Amino acid sequence: MNITCKNMSAGYGKNKILEGINLEIKPGEKVFIGGANGSGKTTLLRVLSGLIPHEGEVLIDGKEVSSMKRKDIAKLIALMPQTNEIYFPYTVNETVLLGTYATSGNSLFGTDPKAAQFAVKCMEDCGILEFKDRHLDELSGGQLQRVLMARTFAQRSPFLFLDEPGNNLDIKYRAELCDKLNSWASGKTGDIDNTLVAVFHDLEQAKRCCTRAVMLKDGRIIFDGDIADALKPEMLINIYDFDVASYLRG
Amino acid sequence: MTKKGTGLKIAVSAVLCLFILLLAIRQGSVYISLKDLFGIIGGHISGKGTPDGIEPMLDSIFWTIRMPRALMAFMVGGALSISGACMQALLQNPLASSYTLGVSSGASLGAALVIILEISIPVLAGFMLPFAGFVFGLITVVGALLLASAIDRSVSNTTVVLIGMILSLFVNGIMNLLSSLYSDNAKQLHLWMMGSFSARSWTHCAIMLPVCIVGLICLLLMSRKLDIMSFGDLQAQAMGVDSKKTKVISILICALLTGVSVAFTGVIGFVDLAAPHVVRKIFGPSHKLVIPMSFIYGGAFMALCDLISRTLLSPREIPVGAVTALIGAPFFAYVFFASRRKRS
Repeated sequence: MNITCKNMSAGYGKNKILEGINLEIKPGEKVFIGGANGSGKTTLLRVLSGLIPHEGEVLIDGKEVSSMKRKDIAKLIALMPQTNEIYFPYTVNETVLLGTYATSGNSLFGTDPKAAQFAVKCMEDCGILEFKDRHLDELSGGQLQRVLMARTFAQRSPFLFLDEPGNNLDIKYRAELCDKLNSWASGKTGDIDNTLVAVFHDLEQAKRCCTRAVMLKDGRIIFDGDIADALKPEMLINIYDFDVASYLRG
Repeated sequence: MTKKGTGLKIAVSAVLCLFILLLAIRQGSVYISLKDLFGIIGGHISGKGTPDGIEPMLDSIFWTIRMPRALMAFMVGGALSISGACMQALLQNPLASSYTLGVSSGASLGAALVIILEISIPVLAGFMLPFAGFVFGLITVVGALLLASAIDRSVSNTTVVLIGMILSLFVNGIMNLLSSLYSDNAKQLHLWMMGSFSARSWTHCAIMLPVCIVGLICLLLMSRKLDIMSFGDLQAQAMGVDSKKTKVISILICALLTGVSVAFTGVIGFVDLAAPHVVRKIFGPSHKLVIPMSFIYGGAFMALCDLISRTLLSPREIPVGAVTALIGAPFFAYVFFASRRKRS
């Protein structure tokens, strides 16, 4: 089950963000989407998830994403958007359980026991089980990020699209997140190999979590290959218009 | 919150609301004992008529005037509250309501046209005013939605709220123009707009009841989607909810609930903001509880406000819209800002 883009362009209104994107993501891959601010990383994740309209083709298992139902897309792709806006103070447990919506349906009378059990496992994996009854407005930014991560895992989809999952996390939780993502990516969901597609600003985290890099500049893919090659000093200068290697060396 | 704790809160709330409803029926210039009240209700339900020992006048006051009025107030309060709770979830804004989309302005324009142009359709008889109010309220909401989707394919919250506000202001402008051109009818129009449950009959209740049942069931069935929509369109879509479809269906249900309520009683504010907010404080934000409990709390609040409106300056009656605003506004401000202060 591949996700494929053929000559895809997309944007917001008349403002084109992505142009002429050709990309194929195969099951089992761990893909880092990199680039400077405004290069189109978030837009790419949203187009691949069918959240914003596009020109050209975006196919999931041969089907055009814009013709698929939202629930069917959510069963295959779990997207963790780059947002932590909370409008109503649900508890941690309630929030993570909502992640099971696509697979457990719209039950009014109690929670599906299997979904509830899986939500507990996701909370345990993300280290938030101990405060499962706390309200979202009582959490720190990092704790909230882990709750949203657990909710994304609870969606039980083979493709995990993460938009800056390390935001607000301290170094210990960033390391734990990498371990968690690597262990998840080595498994399967149903009969599909788990596939990770993630945007990171922390290049160290990207190197630890991913093996392939897709680098964007001004809405176009300028590199697609091994992550070690993408993180070479000359490539980073080209991508960021800035000597990243010297900066990191201090 | 434990299941036992929630059950206890629901039971206490139900008893309290039933008490308020009974109070709204019994209190007034004529008082009745509980025994006689249940005697009257039992007599009419069983078809035996007025029980022995109860004066026909008393029977008439309670069965044909007080009970339909109190029940109508309860149902309208409940309908406005669940509609408010739904709109707040859809727009991720605790200050949103169906009024935000122009239902009340549209309904008021419909009523204004009927009053000023003295339009009457024989089949509708005395229901011309509420009918016009409902139809115009619905046209305004549908117009707002169509305009919003023509401008913005994703029907984003900002577009919906802005279009609703623009349409409201535009329709209000037409209404002000009409009332200044036809000033002879302005008083009647003004009275309708202030809201009242006076002279509401069982016929009104018979129309309002199925609307409430349909609205309540539909919103309850959508409760999990509303929970997910509370996190915003982007997160909702990522979790598998078709946010555009959910928004359009929910807004139409809210327009039905609000349009029929406004059409029968005039414009009554604050209950749709205050009741869901208080319910979320007590029961949490999950809509499988917020929807039914908002109906009960909003209904009880409206029945209480109507009781105050007809007894405070008896025999004069204060417009119920004024009572809900006078009680609701400071109460809502207290609850809203107290919780913000606590959080900060």
